[in-house]
Amino acid sequence: MGHVKGLKCRECGREYPIEPIYVCEFCFGPLEAIYDYAKIKRALSRKSIERRPKTLWRYKELLPIDGEPQVGLNSGFTPLVKAENLAKFLGVKELYIKDDTVAHPTLSFKDRVVAVALTKAKEFGFDTVACASTGNLAHAVSAHGAKSGFNRFIFIPATLEQSKILASIVYEPNLVAVDGNYDDVNRLCSEIANKYRWAFVNINIRPFYAEGSKTIGFEIVEQLGWEAPDSIVVPCASGSLLTKVWKALKEFKEIGIIKEVETKIYGAQATGCSPISTAFKQGTDVIRPVKPNTIAKSLAIGNPADGYYALQAVRESGGAIEDVSDEEIIDAIKLLARTEGIFAETAGGVTLATYIKLLKEGKIDKKDCTVLCITGNGLKTAEVLDGKTVEVYHIKPNLASFEEALQRIKNKEGK
Amino acid sequence: MSELKKLRVRLTFPQELIKEPVLFRMAKKYDVMPNIRRARVTDTFGEMILELEGLEENLEQGINSLREQGVVVELIEGDIIE
Repeated sequence: MGHVKGLKCRECGREYPIEPIYVCEFCFGPLEAIYDYAKIKRALSRKSIERRPKTLWRYKELLPIDGEPQVGLNSGFTPLVKAENLAKFLGVKELYIKDDTVAHPTLSFKDRVVAVALTKAKEFGFDTVACASTGNLAHAVSAHGAKSGFNRFIFIPATLEQSKILASIVYEPNLVAVDGNYDDVNRLCSEIANKYRWAFVNINIRPFYAEGSKTIGFEIVEQLGWEAPDSIVVPCASGSLLTKVWKALKEFKEIGIIKEVETKIYGAQATGCSPISTAFKQGTDVIRPVKPNTIAKSLAIGNPADGYYALQAVRESGGAIEDVSDEEIIDAIKLLARTEGIFAETAGGVTLATYIKLLKEGKIDKKDCTVLCITGNGLKTAEVLDGKTVEVYHIKPNLASFEEALQRIKNKEGK
Repeated sequence: MSELKKLRVRLTFPQELIKEPVLFRMAKKYDVMPNIRRARVTDTFGEMILELEGLEENLEQGINSLREQGVVVELIEGDIIE
């Protein structure tokens, strides 16, 4: 038996049994998994975790499953890279990259949430899984679903570029391209989720799916030698990841894995889609939906389901939320690549650029031990760098031509 | 024949509409039944979580009329495309 007690409404507190439901019947508030922490405290310790395989399932008691893990058995436990070059460049004391650019199997943190969602879908007895996505989520559901033997339905807006489709369609799911704008696709998927007995990972499985994000928080603490950092910067799309990283730290304290949590949580958004950052800066609780216009497509959620809760988590921790321009995002992607050898997708650029902005504003201390959550691989959004990289030296196939280029390189380096 | 349909939505009202009976007028004109579950109103704008029930075409027209007046109408699930 697992350690999850049931589901609880985040608004009115009503409790529900463990079922594929996501919204409170009374107040329409979102449901969240709740646990028996006393029981977990007896079952889980630093030592018992350390003895397990290095995957996200080493924290399985804190994940909302009843039996053994069934999907994503090689996912999670990505490197926590000490970013010494980047720290030196920025003049900060201690900086780490939580590197989900190398997440297994589809190179983004969605591999974590989908591993948990599909394990739960198996437990519920579903044979079909579904999602609506323009990128990372589609890749993770397509791949994990293939390996674990589900029928898969992936919904995308018909306008999505061919290059984005390839990393999903290669796993041969049923890929359904819907004519219409994002609103039309959202509405259709909601209707489908309510009509068909499918596991729609980010609709009726959402309370379970979202919990998978906590594993980033657990891993950061473990990889820092069982200590929570001073600050963590998390990119915000729906806001779910940020709330779950915060929840992870609090849970580790609750069960005695760590003594104190004094971590400040910082949210990162692109200015072209910054409803959570805007609400934070205005000091309000109400998130005004926006129409996204940014190169950071994986964060382009104009109406974030967990925006309000992300605001709460940031305020509770004493952190802040900032947003950055497309130009700053590109510069940050390049900076991370040339200093740390890590190629992040646009969301990673958002996170680093936001960190730099928060440093300049004095909202993050240069003496802090800071962790940046880099959530996806740059090869997924490589097109944003077209024409923005350093030059290629074209030469003829002879030594003279090479040496001419070498001279140009030396001249450039000498500057 | 069109069937009765239910839609769970979140309405966000701009400041200038907070004092107006926008929802009542829409409900009456398009024969849509609102069932309010939650609301949050500040002095600058308001938010309401509710279910709308009516014939599909009436729901469509009612929601369009809210949008034309400046109310933001979104599904309670938030944006599903991730």
